[in-house]
Parts: sequence; C-alpha cells; structure tokens
Amino acid sequence: MTAPATQPPVTKAKVPSQRGSGSGPGRDGMEGRTLNAFSHGFLVLWAVMIVLPLFWILLGNFKTDSQIKSSAWTWPTEWTFDAFQRGWEKGVGDYLLNTLIVMIVSVPLTMLLGAMAAYVLARYDFVGNRFVYYFFVAGSMFPVFLALVPLYFMVDRLGMLNTYQGLILVYVAYSLPFTVFYLHSFFRTLPTAVHEAAVIDGASHTRVFFQIMVPMAKPGLISVGIFNVLGQWNQYILPLTLMQKQSGGDEDRSMLAQGLVSLMNQGNYETDLPALYAGMTISMIPVLVVYLSFQRQVQSGLTAATIK
Amino acid sequence: MGSTPGTSGRPEASGVGRRDLIKRAAALGIISVPTMGFLSACASGGGGDNDKAKTVKKTKDNPFGVAKDNDLDVFIFKGGYGDDYAKAWEASYEKKYGGSVAHSGEQDVTGKLQPRFNKGNPPDVVDDSGSKKMKLDTLHKEGHLTDLTQLLDAPSIDDPSKKIRDIMLPGTIEQGTFGGKFHALFYVYATWGLWYSNKLFKKHGWEVPKTWDQMLDIMKDAKSKGIGGLAHQGKYPYYMNIVIMDLIAKTGGMDAVKAIDNLDKKAFVGNPAAERAIEAVYEIVEKGLLMPGTNSLEHTEAQTKWNEYKAVFIPSGSWLENEQAKQTPDDFEMTFLPLPLLPDSKMKLHAVRTGADEPFIVPSKAKNVPGGLEFLRRMLSKEGATAFAKEASSLSVIGPEYVDKSVQLRPGIKTALAAVDACPVDERFNFRYSEWYGEMDVSIQNATGELMAKRITPKKWLERCQAAVDKEAEKNPDTKRK
Amino acid sequence: MHRKKYPFIAGFLVLPVGLYVLLVIWPYLQTISYSFTDWSGASQNFNFVGLDNYKDLANDDVFIKALQHNALLLVLVPTLTILLSLFFAFMVNVGGRGGAGGVSGVKGSAFYRVIFFFPQVLSIAILAILFKAVYRGDDSGLINGTLQAVGLGDKNNPTEWLNDPDLVLWCIVFVMIWAGAGFYMVLFSAAMQSIPKDIYEAALLDGAGRFQTFFRVTLPLLWETIQTAWVFLAILSMDAFLLISTLTSQDFGGGPDHSSEVISTYLMRNFQTYSKSGYACAMGVVMLLLTLIVSIVTLRLSRRDRIEF
Repeated sequence: MTAPATQPPVTKAKVPSQRGSGSGPGRDGMEGRTLNAFSHGFLVLWAVMIVLPLFWILLGNFKTDSQIKSSAWTWPTEWTFDAFQRGWEKGVGDYLLNTLIVMIVSVPLTMLLGAMAAYVLARYDFVGNRFVYYFFVAGSMFPVFLALVPLYFMVDRLGMLNTYQGLILVYVAYSLPFTVFYLHSFFRTLPTAVHEAAVIDGASHTRVFFQIMVPMAKPGLISVGIFNVLGQWNQYILPLTLMQKQSGGDEDRSMLAQGLVSLMNQGNYETDLPALYAGMTISMIPVLVVYLSFQRQVQSGLTAATIK
Repeated sequence: MGSTPGTSGRPEASGVGRRDLIKRAAALGIISVPTMGFLSACASGGGGDNDKAKTVKKTKDNPFGVAKDNDLDVFIFKGGYGDDYAKAWEASYEKKYGGSVAHSGEQDVTGKLQPRFNKGNPPDVVDDSGSKKMKLDTLHKEGHLTDLTQLLDAPSIDDPSKKIRDIMLPGTIEQGTFGGKFHALFYVYATWGLWYSNKLFKKHGWEVPKTWDQMLDIMKDAKSKGIGGLAHQGKYPYYMNIVIMDLIAKTGGMDAVKAIDNLDKKAFVGNPAAERAIEAVYEIVEKGLLMPGTNSLEHTEAQTKWNEYKAVFIPSGSWLENEQAKQTPDDFEMTFLPLPLLPDSKMKLHAVRTGADEPFIVPSKAKNVPGGLEFLRRMLSKEGATAFAKEASSLSVIGPEYVDKSVQLRPGIKTALAAVDACPVDERFNFRYSEWYGEMDVSIQNATGELMAKRITPKKWLERCQAAVDKEAEKNPDTKRK
Repeated sequence: MHRKKYPFIAGFLVLPVGLYVLLVIWPYLQTISYSFTDWSGASQNFNFVGLDNYKDLANDDVFIKALQHNALLLVLVPTLTILLSLFFAFMVNVGGRGGAGGVSGVKGSAFYRVIFFFPQVLSIAILAILFKAVYRGDDSGLINGTLQAVGLGDKNNPTEWLNDPDLVLWCIVFVMIWAGAGFYMVLFSAAMQSIPKDIYEAALLDGAGRFQTFFRVTLPLLWETIQTAWVFLAILSMDAFLLISTLTSQDFGGGPDHSSEVISTYLMRNFQTYSKSGYACAMGVVMLLLTLIVSIVTLRLSRRDRIEF
C-alpha cells in the first residue's frame, strides 16, 4: 500500500480476477501434491475451527442453563426462543444502538481529522513537520489504560462523562495516531501533477484538498476506515471508564462490549447462560448481515488501497 | 465471588508514618499537574455544598432531619444475595420520604465507584462488597466515610426506647470501627463452611462426618461411584481457603488464627497446626478426590455441578443457597457442615466461622448524607430485616427476632443457622487478614490454586504463604489483632 | 511559494493536534506525575514519594514476569498471525492448481474469504464469552467435551486449559490469532492481487515453483503491507486486557499464579484491588517508555523514501 509510486494509481476495473488464465507447465510432482493436500486440509480445518464454536454457542441459545453446564454436546430438547426474549430484555439492543450512534460519527470524524493532519504533514514542508509527525505516530502504541484516570478527569471537566459526544471525541483522539501514520504514507504516493495543475489554476489549498486529494485518496480512506471501524468496535476499557452512570439516575449508555461483559459478570451470580448467549447472538446478527452484504466492498476497498 | 471475602474492618487506622511524607501542598513541583487538575475540577463545580440535600429539624421519629422529596442514590453489590432486597428497602424509603430513589445493582464496585469517589460525587449509600469491593481502610484514610456513631445512637424504628446500637448482634460494631469510630455497617449475619446434599447422603447411606478421615472415606466411596469428592470454585481459590484456613483454625485454635492475622513469623512454617492441616487437605488432591475439572471452574459453574450431584462437598458461605436458588433441585436438602476435625484439635467440632458481612457505608461527600443514614436505620428495622430475609433468604445483624414470622427461610440456611446456634458465642471464630492485607491474601490464594492443581507440595505451600506473611510484616510492623 | 501556506497548515492541524494533545498526550503526562506519589486512587490527596515506586518496581517479580509476557505477546501475536494469514492469502489467491497450472486460488476461495474474516467483526466481548465456554476445564467445555466424545479425552482428568501455567498464555494467543488471521488474509490478498500478473507469469516461465514464487516474488512485494499489519497487531497485542481479565483467574486475570499476567492486568489490580494507584502509574510509565522504544524501532524499520514533489 505504501510503496513509492512506481505506477500511476489504477482504477478498480483492473482488479484482476481471472488472473492465471495463462498456461504454465504442470510442474506439481508428488511432493507438491502432498503439500497441497496438507494445505488444503488446513484451510478446511481452520474453517471448521471458526464455524464450530459459533455453531455450538448458537445451539446454546436453545439449551437450558443446566444443559449448557453439563456435557458439551448435549442436544437441546426444546427449540424455543425464550432465551432470545430474556437476552433482549437485558438491553443488548440498547448497547448495540449506543455503539452505532457513537461510531456513525466517530469513524468519519476520525478520517476527516486524520486525513487533514496526514495531508498537511505529507505534502507541505514547514518547520516542525517531522516533529508533529513523530509526535502523532509515537502515540499509536501507547496502551490506553495508562491514561485512564487523568482522561476521566479531563472528560469530566469538559462535562462530557457518559455522553456520546465525549466518547466520540476520545475515540477520535485515540484513533488519530494510526490513521495519520497510515494516511501519511498514502498521501505521499499520490501523483503531484494534478495537484500542481490545480494550484496553477488558482485553487485554494483547502479546495485542492477536498476536491482533488480526498477523491484521489479514497481507497486509502476506505481501508483506514475499515481499520478504524474494527478498532473502535472493539474498544472496551475506554467506554468502561467514560460511559458510566455518574449517579444512580443517569441513563445507561453502555457500549456493546462493555454491556456484554457486564452481562457476563452478572451471570457469575444469577446464571442464565442461554440468555447471555442469546444476547450475544442478537448482537451478532446485525453485524453479520452488514458484513455479508458489504464484504465485497470491504475486500475490494482493501484491494483498491493497495493498488498503486 | 459470592460475597465479601473476609468480614472485617480494621480496628485502628494503620500507622502511616513509614516515610517522610511531604504534604500535597508542599510538593508543588512535580505533582502540580494533577493538583491543578483537581482544583479546576472543583472550580468547574464538581460538588459544592450547594447541591447538598436540604434537611429539616431533627426529631425522635426523624433523627437525621431528612427533608421530604430529596433524591437518594443507592448502590448495591449484586452478588449472591441479588439486589431485590434493596429494591424493597428503596420502595419503602421512597414511600415515606418521597423524592426518587435511584438504584444501581452492580458487580464491579471499584470500577464503577472509584472515579466517583475521586471526583467527590459518590452515591448516598454503598454496599461495598464482592471481589471488586473498594478497600474500606483506604476509604477511611481518605476521609470518605461518614461517622455512623449517630446511627448507633438513633432510636430504633420498631421500639424508639431502644437505641440502634442495642439491637445489633455483638461484634458488629467492633467490626465496622475504624480509628475509634464506627464507619461501616456490616449488615449480613454470615457463616462459612462446607455444604452437602442430604439427599445424596441418604441415597448412599453416608453418615455426617465428624473427623477428617470419615470425610475422606465418604469421598473415596463417592469416587468409586463416579461422584467427585470435593468440588471447589477453582477460578477463585478464596473458596478453597475457607476449608484450609478453617482446618488450620480448628486444629490450632485461636492462637493459629491470630498468628496469621498478626503476621507471625511462625504463621505457617513452624506452625504444626498449619502443617497438619495442609497435609490433610492435600490428601484430597493426591488421592484424586476432587471433582474433575473443578480447579478451573467459575464459582457458579462448580456450584451448579455440585447441585447436579457431581460432587459431595463444596465450600462456601451462607449466600450459597440463594445464589444457587434456580439451579438447586427441590429435593436437594442442602445442608451446612462445620468442618470435620483432625485428631487432637484445639477447637471442638461445632466451632464455626461466623461474622457480619456486606459492609454498607454512607460516603461523607454524598449529596444526601442524612438520607443515607436514615436508609441504614430503616434497614435495621423489622421491615428492613424481613425484606432481606424474604428476598435474600438470609439474616441480618439484628437477628432473627426482627424477621416477620410469615417469612420462611430456605432449608439450607436454616441448617447453617442451627449450626451457629449450636456453637457457643466464644467458640465462633473469624479471620481478618484478607481484609487487612490484600496482597498477602492474593499470594495465599495463588499458592492454594497451585496446590489444588497438584503443582506444588504442601511444604512449598507453607513456604509461599509464610513468605507472603513475612513480606506483609515488613511493610506493616504494627500488628492489628490483640 | 504557495500562497497563504501557513494559515492553511495551521488551520488543518489545529483540530487534530488539539484533540490529540488534550485527550491523549495530556493524560499520559498526568499519569507520569501521579507515578511519583503514593496516590490511593480514592481521592485527590496524596504525598510525593520521589522515585520510591520505581525502586519498588525494580524488585517486583510479578512486574518483571508481566513484562516478559507482554514481550512474548508482542512477538508471538503479530508473527504468528501474519504467517498464518500470509499462508491463507497465498492459498486463496495463487495456491490453487488452476487448471492448466496457472495462478489462481484454491477451490472454495470465496467461501474461505467470508468465513475466515468473520471473527474479526465479532465484538471482543463476544470472543471472551465464546472462549470461556470453549476452554472450560471440565466436560462442558467445547474442546474437552469434543475430545471426550471422540474418545481422546479422559473424563476424570480433563485438561484445565486456562488453569495450566504452560497452556494459558497460548490459549490467549490462539484467541487473538483466531480472531485476526482472516482480516489480514483479506488485507494480504488485496496486496497480492495488486501485484501485476506479468511478474508471476515471468517467474513461472523462468521455471520457479509455486512456493519459490511466493518467497521470491510475493513476499518482497508485500513487505510494506506486512509492516502496516505488524504495527496494528502490535497495538492490539499490547491490549490483551479484556481477554485475559475475563478468561483467566485472579482479580483482573493473569492467573493461575501470575502465569498469564501482563502489565495491564497487574496494573489494574494494583490500581483498584490494592489501592496502590501511584505504583500502578509508575508501572504505566515504564510501559510507556518501553512502547516508545518499540515504536521508534518499528518506525526506523518501516521508514520510507521521501517522495519528491
């Protein structure tokens, strides 16, 4: 994705799908075949290793609590959806909605701010450029939990504890390092000719950025967007600290991961594993639907980003 | 965990003077950053006196001057006892004083409350229990605890001629006293020990064991019938430590208990009671009498297997029956067993570990301190204790006479209460170290986990526990228990 | 040379840099100042204790152990995930027999792409719930139950996956790889597809085998993508907190007997359970320095040529 631009960017149309139609000598001997069988076997095994636990936990939705706790391969006796109702009542829907509300704003905002910073750092020479760049990138590996308490006070001072906007700003801030790191190298590889032509035509810097550079950087933005969706989707300790009720009467704005872990902890006292599994399944379904409908776009987005 | 491990507060504030401590104000240089953060947090209006709850004139009926329609924020540890009992209390409070009572039932007490204490915005009443409880002595040292002495001197709701202090069971006040003042109301009257199903016993014709060997014989017989001898909540060695520590206590008497609590140089290594007890416990491991897999189970997982007759005995406290209410078969006949004895034990068979459990506190920076105090006073009434017995099937520290006769406790807890009744008051014992010395407790728990998994020997267990004790003694030269 | 260059630069940088300083850098700096105090975490009263916390850290065996485990995760998780996903990517792109022996993915490539990627979209909390059930130490656990069902496991002596000091960390590593490999497979596939096919054909004509092609052609051309993946995976592996704290024993996880202890679990236990928050902050600072070093090394390795324009 970041190799020095040896070729001009290509459009998606060139994504090769029937590559390899060219003929080559069949040079797989016995050894190759064995290797092949082994490799193929491994792919199948891995697929089983992914599907099996998920299928198994899905079965758990229909078992009773004590069936789950007895032998692993106990088959459900009654196929009812009671557990789903109990799981739903535990607020999984709200957790999912909270997460969506936050991410619908935080991911685009991360990309906008990240792109702005990365663009300026990648394509403009000014005093302190390297410093600002390293300043950003250094933060990418700092573990979040180190800053939790001061961060809590900071968000409190902004009056944004247990608010969506507070969490959005924090998500953006903590996603910036990787985003800047990624987009910085991407912006560097974009050709300069178009840019220069626009400047000569008298376009302002801002206009060049929004109307020329951003569209050209779209593949890069898509893939860093995917990274950010996955990264923010899996945040746990940030919302745990910042999205807590500040008094008993506050609204519960738990994010999905936080809500599910809290359900799991509750389950350590009054166990209702089927409901927990059902809650988990409920939260998986929309994601699964979104993923299955967009997986082509996700994959081609990543593909486009790597084509230079 | 089921409920509060350990049961007590420390009688005295710890002697802090271990270093030349420079006061915060003096340490301007390096820590000015957080300090300024704190100041500006205050300036932006964190918790001024303005939002404190209003009060009215104090009367005999309303000893803390609670005004009507003030909100109350109640935070409950939702563990083995659930939190329905607290909802009943809250409804009753709301009915009497109006306002809205906010309820939180949580497991992660520290996670939820540490930031709020830090910020000066704590709830009005906190049930500070569970494995993630906030340490009481820390809260005390930081001045976060309201002096509850005024609660002790307030009139009882059921009989205004009596003071609250006169209706509580002995030991409760001592346990909640820090630095000479009563700061925490340990509300639940709890017992710890082993539990079994009497149905299983009858089915296999086993007699209630009086000695350790008799117990091992039952376990061996069980094993031959495909039943595990002992289940324990392996993910939390706290539970197995009930067995180990109680056996040490019963073998060595109160001296052995105090040796550990006082961080004695011979608390474990060189203490014959500890040596004999741990050997005896290890026999269960060595002879393969543990329920298979139990070492890695979550507590409710292990308990549920025990409910399904996959094991004979399990250690726990008096919340066990309530915690397992949904999983326990109707004819299970859950029964409490005081720990059987090794030969030549210093304590009698009937000796049991008892104590007040589940500390309730009123944070000093709470908005509605009078409301919090009144809430506690109402807990200590016939109505409060009855609600607790009904919803949590357990007794409070004001004893059974305050529980309405219509409430039937569950059968298992009755056997535990009978066992306590059978033990004279001065023969009941309790450990305090887990409350006082958190790190030492963790080290001992880890050692126990390793022992149960057969990865260390009893000798090594003793050494590791002693090392933990010695390490703690180095940090705390002053011993706490007289 | 450019008109109004500096106002533009400032205008574009002010928001991101401001937000970053306010919510990331400033809290880290405050953590540093807390690390010189005996802060209990329960109020804003504390005393300055100089370097005491750091001296204690140097003698803290558990801390050292946790650091080692962190280093192990930092090496294992990215390396194994990348190796595995490279293999997958290779198989689904050029691993097939391709009819006439050309370059194509194995049969069912599209299916593998969907299935392998799926764990990545699950919330990490779901992974915790799922693998708690999978690794359960008695016959109710998926692995033990399945092993016993096919006659490989001993019902009376099941493997206590998460209670075995030799296995527990590997169990955690496996979950992270299980979840991540698919995503990187897709990422690498994308990169592989962007390699012009003429290069492959040239290699094939030169008589290179499929695996030779992989090492001589594919791998070098993927190097940049692999570096990005490494950075992102390294970030993830530093934060195994949720998995370890929910799956393993001890408060905040790390058990049995500290054998899966990492800095985050030990730090949280000190912060909350032991009320040694100042000490916990000192731990954080050490961690901060170490990550800084790792970051710098990574950056050095992945430094790119400046493009002239």
